[in-house]
Amino acid sequence: MVLDGIINGIIMAGIVALPVLGIAVIYGMTGIINFAVGGIGVFSAFLTWYLLPYNMPLAIVAGLVVGFGLGYAIQAALLTPLSAKRGGDLNLFFLITNNIGLIFVGLTRVIFPRPIIGIPLPRLGTINILNVQTSGLKFLALFIAIGALLLLRTVERYTRVGKSWRATSQNLRLARVVGINTSRAFNVASGLGCMLAAFGAIIWGSLYNLTLTSGFDLTFLGYIIAVVGGIGNILGGMLAALIVGMVLSFSAYIVSGSWQSVILYGIAIITLILAPRGILGSERSV
Amino acid sequence: MSEPILEVSDLAVAYGANLAVKGVSATVSENEILGIVGPNGAGKTTFLETIAGLLTARRGTIRYRGKRIDHSSVLKRRKLGIVLIPQEGNIFPGMMVKENLEMGGVLMPAKERETQISYVYELFPMLKERARQIANTLSGGERRMLGVGIGIVANAQLFLIDEPSVGLAPKLVTSLLERLKQLKEDTQKPIALCEQNIKVLNVADRILGMEAGESKFCESLDAIDKGKVRELYLGLHA
Repeated sequence: MVLDGIINGIIMAGIVALPVLGIAVIYGMTGIINFAVGGIGVFSAFLTWYLLPYNMPLAIVAGLVVGFGLGYAIQAALLTPLSAKRGGDLNLFFLITNNIGLIFVGLTRVIFPRPIIGIPLPRLGTINILNVQTSGLKFLALFIAIGALLLLRTVERYTRVGKSWRATSQNLRLARVVGINTSRAFNVASGLGCMLAAFGAIIWGSLYNLTLTSGFDLTFLGYIIAVVGGIGNILGGMLAALIVGMVLSFSAYIVSGSWQSVILYGIAIITLILAPRGILGSERSV
Repeated sequence: MSEPILEVSDLAVAYGANLAVKGVSATVSENEILGIVGPNGAGKTTFLETIAGLLTARRGTIRYRGKRIDHSSVLKRRKLGIVLIPQEGNIFPGMMVKENLEMGGVLMPAKERETQISYVYELFPMLKERARQIANTLSGGERRMLGVGIGIVANAQLFLIDEPSVGLAPKLVTSLLERLKQLKEDTQKPIALCEQNIKVLNVADRILGMEAGESKFCESLDAIDKGKVRELYLGLHA
């Protein structure tokens, strides 16, 4: 049972890590905690579900592109100009991004014919690790999360674009002075964050069910993990995702699945009291 | 004297209801260092930041090579070649020294950027020695030099440098200002240099004296009473 729980916990961590990465990327660059990420991710996943009967790869790409485009457009049209005008007012951005999330719940209801969906992606066989049977799709989700993390790290360390992102997150004023197009960096980061959330929502929808309000579950789960790990700290976020994955996995075995949210939110509160900046500290680095 | 590169006319800048700069006019020409002196609160930094586009003027005009730029964005002014080297926050703290310098040349091709970085290493050899060191582990003086280095890599057509000597030991101040003079002689580029240190008189061609947001004089070094400048704007202790 313990081994089963650990393996499932690691896989669960991989799935929930995607929206966390999205939140971390957006906060790292813009300083804004975007609560619309989950809503946009779920909207994009519904689109993938809708297009799936026509062409599966195209449907997945369409979901990811729409996720990126929405994140980019909302940042460019609303959040970046507002941030320039009002500064980083956390309460204002909480309300605005939450409302944007609600708008996407409404749009999902209006545009798509069903309120609850499962995305029928291929299971990709069964993998046996130390006598624990798990679907290949779950492993793929884990590898995608690890791959996305490594790709982001590589881009930010070694490419010119990545370095200009780091520069923007470390000293916005100087970044503007030396000629970095900081508005575009914000918009791309926001698009990337929403695309990661869309990927997470597609995987989630293929393993469980997606409802109209799943975006909020995804956002708040992502947000809890980000808080526990240290908002903006990608490594901390990944460690926290692992902890949360284990909690989700073991709470189902030890107590009952119904206790999951009580335990999760309890951990978040205790972490906030003991380490307000998260277990590895909050940082604004992509 | 050649045609001015920068012409600022009747510039007024306010923070809310408080005017920080009250109708200041000045020009900077090619191969010239304009020293901007004055006590704390004189409006020197506000003046430079408004020219760079970080602040918006309430009144007045800014012309660069004859064209008005007072409504242009920071990015557009940077692309025209105007580079501000701020007094505070002039480095990217979590990046290596070499990466900081690379960011100065973010708008130019890699080869040109490397040439500029080599020139900075000639001016400040310690930056080459510390190329792979994280910037926030440098000493105060080294950070100032890195900040100036970022601006030099940017291949500015007009440098706006804000109090580079603050907090530096006297020997380092002399060294830094001499390098700025060398920069002007090497590149023939104009420099507007805010400074509270008396040694600015050794490198500037003209001096703009500011006090309480107003321009008190703007004269060539030969025409001004240096004793008065020392007393009024730089402080005798400097």
